[in-house]
Amino acid sequence: MYTAYVIYNHRLNERDFHLALRLPKEFVQPRPGQFVMVRTAESDGPLLSRPLSVYHFTRLHGHVVLELLYRIVGRGTALFSRWPSGKEVRVLGPLGNGFHIDEKKRNHILIAGGMGIAPITYLAAWLCNRSSDGNRMVFCLGAKNSGEFIGLERLEKIGGQFHISTDDGSLGTCGTVTELLPEIVGRCEADAAVLYACGPPGMMKSLASCLPAKVTCQVSVEARMACGVGACLGCAISVLASRKRIVKKSVCRDGPVFDLREICWEDL
Amino acid sequence: MNSVNLSMDVEIGSLRLKNPVMTASGTFGYGEEYAPYVDLNSLGAIVVKGLSWKARSGNPSPRIMETPAGMLNAIGLQNIGVKYFINKKLPFLRNFDIAVIANVYGETVEEYLRVSELLTAAPGVHALEINVSCPNVKKGGVAFGTDPDMVADVTGRVRGITDLPLIVKLSPNVTDITVMAAAAAAAGADGVSLINTLTGMSVDVERRIPHLQNITGGLSGPAIKPVALRMVWQAARTVNIPIIGVGGIMTAADALEFIIAGATAIQVGTANFINPKATMEILAGIRDYMDRHKINIRELVGTLHT
Repeated sequence: MYTAYVIYNHRLNERDFHLALRLPKEFVQPRPGQFVMVRTAESDGPLLSRPLSVYHFTRLHGHVVLELLYRIVGRGTALFSRWPSGKEVRVLGPLGNGFHIDEKKRNHILIAGGMGIAPITYLAAWLCNRSSDGNRMVFCLGAKNSGEFIGLERLEKIGGQFHISTDDGSLGTCGTVTELLPEIVGRCEADAAVLYACGPPGMMKSLASCLPAKVTCQVSVEARMACGVGACLGCAISVLASRKRIVKKSVCRDGPVFDLREICWEDL
Repeated sequence: MNSVNLSMDVEIGSLRLKNPVMTASGTFGYGEEYAPYVDLNSLGAIVVKGLSWKARSGNPSPRIMETPAGMLNAIGLQNIGVKYFINKKLPFLRNFDIAVIANVYGETVEEYLRVSELLTAAPGVHALEINVSCPNVKKGGVAFGTDPDMVADVTGRVRGITDLPLIVKLSPNVTDITVMAAAAAAAGADGVSLINTLTGMSVDVERRIPHLQNITGGLSGPAIKPVALRMVWQAARTVNIPIIGVGGIMTAADALEFIIAGATAIQVGTANFINPKATMEILAGIRDYMDRHKINIRELVGTLHT
């Protein structure tokens, strides 16, 4: 577990924040889809760390900068929102498996709903930095309304084709992200494209039901966590294994990225 | 001038530990998970996640919920099964200079016996910890640990088939912990560990549903420390066998409270989630206390002035 210092903690809208932490240079560069467990340095306050997906990572001379997005959803995140610059905190990570990036695939379709934009942005930056002839990225992004749309500027700098929707039509198409998909996926060769998705369970459930048969999709899921390392089994979900057996996998250690079709959506 | 023996050796029956710091069952997996953070060679013992005869998938999620100064868990005893543990997980643990204590779970006395028998024959298992907080399915699902006769029965029957040091982990969800401790001791336990989790609950007021899919769960963490400490103190005054104190130990000072109250050794559980290095910091803190007070850990046990 590392000691980290808050560089900035910017409020983006009523409940969403962009947190930048300074960490020692020993902190390993996360892979896209990995997360960290963040907590206060004090012994009072909420007991458990909170899991947050990596949004951005920069290695500087002598230290690293880890950027995270979070939404106030309870006591823990409400406490985070009061952290001033310079505040000392604790970070465990990077944790989890991260997205599997298939070098042979050229068409990347990145789907993000709400806060899912954080790991999807990190993935996009990663793909962009590692492309030789250029990975083609298509973004399908959704949020409830324009006010809840965060992180667009950063993605636009990375570049690609953008398809945006909001539930109320205040930005982009009116509707959900999954409504945009059939047309976009339909245009790609099934075996040349790969999908990566992160968003609310509802979005991912409908993705699971509308995805064409031969198209692969990885999703990053969330779960309440205690240990973050696969010891307590608190975050275990039911997953379809070989021969139609259902097994438990820990979101923190075996995930948070899974194949869309392995997840038993009743558990989420 | 007296030279003080500052070794931290403790004994639970024939189990000799190099120090009193153990990890609590269910909070440290099978060792591999925390190996990147903790030097497993430095701890007294690891108590592995409870093992049943067949693998169990446990309860549906959500299985955990934070509470003030604590957390609830309703994992449902998900585990890989005793055979898989012996074949696939135990070899890793044999690489370390640490006592391996296998926690045993059963729904019937017969299951406790079958699991214990297999573990007794497995190289690298140094002791058994019998979890009596399990429901006895033959008695309508009443937890073994709530009935002294059932505690005595399980303990006595397991005692009969193993020479390994035998620890019984007591449930706090009882009227009188001393009765349970006495029953385990009389039936041949080499030590008792207490406490397991306290049964608790949490409600989502907006959706009007429990936060746990299982409705109730076990409470652990700092919130339970005063209860655990009181029970350790009571049990220590009742039985002559060593007590292993567990419940909300976060720091060395917490561990010392338990030792002074009567515990020979302690287990660290929920603290691992907050700080993966908690066990090592607690060990260092106990050592520091011994240095400052020029007292050996064995001399400290049960020295509460009342």
